[in-house]
Amino acid sequence: MKRKGKPFWRKEGFQAYMFMIPTLIGFPVLCAYPMLYSLYAAFCDWDGINSPVWKGLKNFKYLLTVDPVFWKSVRVTFLYALINVPITLILGLALAVLLNKKIPGIRLFRVIYYLPTIVPGIAAIILWQFIFKSDVGLLNGLLGQLGLAPVGWLTSEKVVLFSLSIIKWWGVGGMMIIFLSGLQSVPADVFEAASLDGATGWAQFKYVTLPMITPVIFLQLITGLIGCMQSFAEAQIMTGGGPNFSSQFINFDIYVNAFTNQKYGRACAESWILFLIILAFTALIFKKSESFVYYEND
Amino acid sequence: MGKKQRQKMNVTARYVLILVFCIPMLFPLLWMLTTALKDNAAVFKVPPQFIPSKFHWENFTDGLAKIKFGREFLNSLFISVIVSIGQICSCMSVGYALARLKFKGKKLWFYLIVGSMMIPGMVTVMPVFRLWASLGAYGTWWPMIIPSFLGAPFQTFLARQFMTTIPKSYDDAARIDGANRLQILTRIIAPMSKPLITVIAIQSFQGAWNDYLTPLLYIISKPEKWTLALGVGRMTSSTYGTQWNLFMAADIMYMLPILIIFFICQNYFMEGLGSMNNSGVK
Repeated sequence: MKRKGKPFWRKEGFQAYMFMIPTLIGFPVLCAYPMLYSLYAAFCDWDGINSPVWKGLKNFKYLLTVDPVFWKSVRVTFLYALINVPITLILGLALAVLLNKKIPGIRLFRVIYYLPTIVPGIAAIILWQFIFKSDVGLLNGLLGQLGLAPVGWLTSEKVVLFSLSIIKWWGVGGMMIIFLSGLQSVPADVFEAASLDGATGWAQFKYVTLPMITPVIFLQLITGLIGCMQSFAEAQIMTGGGPNFSSQFINFDIYVNAFTNQKYGRACAESWILFLIILAFTALIFKKSESFVYYEND
Repeated sequence: MGKKQRQKMNVTARYVLILVFCIPMLFPLLWMLTTALKDNAAVFKVPPQFIPSKFHWENFTDGLAKIKFGREFLNSLFISVIVSIGQICSCMSVGYALARLKFKGKKLWFYLIVGSMMIPGMVTVMPVFRLWASLGAYGTWWPMIIPSFLGAPFQTFLARQFMTTIPKSYDDAARIDGANRLQILTRIIAPMSKPLITVIAIQSFQGAWNDYLTPLLYIISKPEKWTLALGVGRMTSSTYGTQWNLFMAADIMYMLPILIIFFICQNYFMEGLGSMNNSGVK
């Protein structure tokens, strides 16, 4: 039945758009417009004060062929993601399996493991900066106790990425909690059926648990990758990208280009390259995911 | 070995492993605490001193004096509370429309919101920065506050997923009683969404409290407007030298409010994160 006389403000579609107002303003102003503007500026010289001047592919050419830091920052970012995405996934899952049992005190342990994730990023970074200090730092103090030479945790080009990774591993509790709730959403009868078939321990984990939580693994893989690709504050506060740009993540390099060098156009070009890299990887993982992610409702 | 015996062994092994992994999780925080209680000479002691010979509680007041703690604390608190309110209002509103109302372009908007989660912040930072500057908002809190009223993609997504699970019959019953849609949202859906609202509130408060880049970009030139994240973050690079005991004390005071909120709302924290699962990529 169609009521013709209904005024427009009482219609569902109109009212829905009223509820959508935050997004209707927010999306164009804070997302679409800046995206398009930054795409345009990527092809321009732009000091951030005067209007951008069209220069074609100049910024991309500079970044890809001349800039001594860009490729290094790409390499550093990839290496960092390559080390950390698998390690945190495995560690997070292992801890979740460890804590997924009703034994006395388990709630307290879960809180302890999750605690580092609660520590605000800046607080954690300052804390680890102190622990990594070569003169007063805890790690070198302990090494000294064992009669070993101090390590330049943040000053050695070879070690700095590893040091920053330690902070990531420390915060693995976030992943652990999500894995934990994933494990708990696996229905108990599946396990019962499996153990009737004689599957125990590792076999049960491999053939029952793992396939059941592939959606969670997939989600964590994507968010973990994006998180690593967008590392920023560690470099900004702890290392300033150093030594010799060995912790100059792409995201930090963009920041330096924009706000230190005042090369907004170049920074925009670089941020688009970062975006396309992330997009390509996510698309690839999404495509590959069809073969390993199992959905119950399918 | 009998089955029972083996089970007992398993539990013991599990406990041992759990306790071993607790050490790296807790130790940095304990180190932070003991450092905050040492005098400056003890910080430099070799070998490292784990328990201070004398507790210097005054480090906390001295450390807070190093940065304008009181001022920055209030600034952070104010911004974080407003941001939480903004995100609750905007995400509930948009989430409600996406979950329970029919309109043209609904799918498109949903995908745009989900898709915008993938955009690296840095892509939009420069144009948004220029936009705020041209509006005269450089050096003010507006760039931190206003966006929260315009919806946050992840929380909107969470809200939409949560509200989809509430049966539609509630709306119909309320409509028969003569309620309009705003009343349905505020009187029926919102009270049923308390866990969701708590999660949005916690996450947005935490996000604003922890945010470092936005204040760094917009208010770095206005020390009286600094947030605590900025104050603490700039502390070690300031001219005060290396008084790590004081830095650690200030650092603890910075994270304390978040820790307190966490321990009060612990269950919601864990559940909220867990609910990502059910909504996740499905």
